Amino acid sequence: MSKSINGRARRWRAAVALGAAAALGLSGCGLNEDNGASGDGAAGDTVLRIGTTTDVSNFNPLQSLSKTDSWILNAMYPHLLRIDANAKKAPELAKDYTYENDGKTAVFHLRDDFTWTDGKPVVADDVKFSAESIMKYKLGNVAAKLTWVTSIEAPDATTVKFNLSQPYAPFAEGVGFWMSVVPKHVFEGAGDLSKFANDSNWVGAGPFVLESATKGQRYVMKRNDKYPLAPGGKPAVSKVEYRLYPDVNTMMLALRNGDIDLMGTPVPASAAKTFESDSKIKMTKVGALGFAHLTYNMNNKDLAKQEVRQALSMAIDTKSIISSVLQGDAQQMSGPISPIFADYDNTEIQPYPFDPAGAKAKLTAAGYKDGNGDGLFDGLELGVACDQSNANITRVVQLFRESAAKAGIKLENECVERNTFLSRTKDGKYDIDASQWGVFDNPMDQLRSTYLSSNPGGINYNLLKSPEIDQLINDAAGTTDPAAFATKIKNIDKVVHEQAYLTPLYVENFQFAYNASKFGGFEASPSDLLGMVTAYSLAQVKPVG
Amino acid sequence: MSSPLVTDPAAAAVPVQEVGPGTRSAWRTFLRQPSGLLAALVLVVMVLLAVFAPLIADEPGGTGADVLRAPSGGHWFGTDDLGQDIFAQVVWGTRTSLLIGVAASLIAIVLGTAIGLASAYFRRVDAIGTVVTDVMLALPTLPLMIMLAAIVSPSVWTLTVIIGVFAWPEVARLIRSQGLVVSAMPYIDGARVLGASGWRIVTREIMPAVVPLIVVSVLLTASRAVISEAGLSFLGLGDPDAWSWGRILLNAQRSGVVAIAWWQTLFPSLAILLLVLAATVAGMRFNDIRDPRRNGG
Repeated sequence: MSKSINGRARRWRAAVALGAAAALGLSGCGLNEDNGASGDGAAGDTVLRIGTTTDVSNFNPLQSLSKTDSWILNAMYPHLLRIDANAKKAPELAKDYTYENDGKTAVFHLRDDFTWTDGKPVVADDVKFSAESIMKYKLGNVAAKLTWVTSIEAPDATTVKFNLSQPYAPFAEGVGFWMSVVPKHVFEGAGDLSKFANDSNWVGAGPFVLESATKGQRYVMKRNDKYPLAPGGKPAVSKVEYRLYPDVNTMMLALRNGDIDLMGTPVPASAAKTFESDSKIKMTKVGALGFAHLTYNMNNKDLAKQEVRQALSMAIDTKSIISSVLQGDAQQMSGPISPIFADYDNTEIQPYPFDPAGAKAKLTAAGYKDGNGDGLFDGLELGVACDQSNANITRVVQLFRESAAKAGIKLENECVERNTFLSRTKDGKYDIDASQWGVFDNPMDQLRSTYLSSNPGGINYNLLKSPEIDQLINDAAGTTDPAAFATKIKNIDKVVHEQAYLTPLYVENFQFAYNASKFGGFEASPSDLLGMVTAYSLAQVKPVG
Repeated sequence: MSSPLVTDPAAAAVPVQEVGPGTRSAWRTFLRQPSGLLAALVLVVMVLLAVFAPLIADEPGGTGADVLRAPSGGHWFGTDDLGQDIFAQVVWGTRTSLLIGVAASLIAIVLGTAIGLASAYFRRVDAIGTVVTDVMLALPTLPLMIMLAAIVSPSVWTLTVIIGVFAWPEVARLIRSQGLVVSAMPYIDGARVLGASGWRIVTREIMPAVVPLIVVSVLLTASRAVISEAGLSFLGLGDPDAWSWGRILLNAQRSGVVAIAWWQTLFPSLAILLLVLAATVAGMRFNDIRDPRRNGG
């Protein structure tokens, strides 16, 4: 018998040794084997190295994109509009846009100096082709934004007209910001664009275009020598290289060691101290275009009651969450419209106060009882679903669970692995959804996708079917007068707040870290999706010294 | 019909000799070895920490003003990014880790012993049992555990069952090999000739002879289960409501403080190391003292 145990021990030892050797080998030939290469190349070329956490999953810019996808593809394919540092739309490929025909025609006027890297100019036909392909194959999230389009015209090389079935106020902003413009002469030969991989021989018109892609390691982009939005007509940096670091801790170390020059992903609030003592590394702070929220499933019999939703809103200590989880680096929200949309945010409404006793009184008044005297209302037990990989939200749920217990509400922490969470959300299998909206570029699109019964964006997490809200949203959507439109949005903000369909929590600030001793000139935009790595920002970057 | 009066003397004589010294003296021998004593002490301390956790530290919760403080008199193991005490988290984590370790190992032992013994004695069961055990041993356990843990709602109990169900094959193989040796011994033939039923032979004659091995297996399987639990929790598949060592590590990794808050990763890792090392050393020492060849017997 001892033979068997000793044999096992030997096997274990061998396995451990093998594992250790494998681990060493892996780390040795790991992600970035030629770390010796610094920012300066042989011929005075400069390479900007950016850290990212995920691979590119799809090189087709017309389809739905993950974060790394959009960073790399947005630097290759121009958009009509971009979002500037103040969260306002700014011109990119389009010089400007106007509405004609009582708001039923949106007209974009394009610049004439954008050029594809194969030498052909970017023209209105490219825009028309991109939009028509998206509509034909229903590609990505832009397809929903083109719902109202009946036809598209390109009367000359720099004019594109979208004819709409009805006026829709934020049409031009939404399509202008989200839609990538692809080269017609390259893409039209690809056949079914929903199956087009676009994974080699890239032709772009952004500041940089992909040169090589090594899955799991790096994506190298070379400069487009004719990019009109860069100072001097071409970017100062000759190459941009995205390097993969699946773990944020490793990425921060890589920045400190000089292996990368910029972290594409934000530095977690709790880890900002990491760079305090490093004089070379600077942090840039930007706002968010989304927000963290608790959304209540209206199909749950308890959550269908307004009093319960209001009580839950009073049972979460958002202020303390902001000061601890986000180290004070966030703004509390009151209604569903983010303060970043200053024109539409209804400043008259106030967040529900953190008041466990008040919440308890509200629930008692609504008929809930604590028969067994355990401090919790009988039969009121709700699950809070969240994505385990979101550090901030998991902490929020943990704290919410503790504070809700003080209000007599028993919450079950249902933070699970990301894919499980996403499939549960899709199937409506949750009571309370704790998550974070990524980017809403305008409040109308946000309200439509989150509250319309028809659920056009697939993110009506309330599963709300309210004719009253539908009517309010549709009425506002068709309003072309800016002042009247803003008033209507503010009213919806108020109604949703009173109904407490969701508890909006905070709009956080993101911090991006870069090596200021090597590069400068970044033009940061709000949100972690845009941040420091928009096409416009990369075109402005200059090597230091 | 079986006749205990006749079979017992033969049965008693052989297994006791196989086991080595009597139970009491076995424990004495075990505790006389410094490594055995130390391992046992660590295990006892861990159990005490787990049982008396509420008396030792408040359940970690809420937020504190001292964020990411290094270890000090006020916070022995420092604090995390919410200002929660890491010492309290480690103490409360002992509960989950031990509970899952012990419970999962019990599941594995019950399943493994039943299948191992049945395979050792009943030839027909052996044909199927060995194949199933081999298949289970060949399966890539970690990916499967990750998949299962992702599908079911994570809780202490689902984790226990998942870990236990994947840990039995090694026990089964160990028990079977020892069972085969025992079942070929003359006293088993004797029992059979005297008319003892298969059930009786397996439970009364073979099982007592493999009990020491079961004790060793419990310890080794428990240590593996603790590692599995920490691994799954670190991957975000643990019980979100229960403190566990893996979860403390996950929190450190997720909030990006690994490089600046060494205490948040060091102490839970040390706890895992200590528990696993103690269980493994205890298991090995126990195996040594019951092994006649090592004891000159």
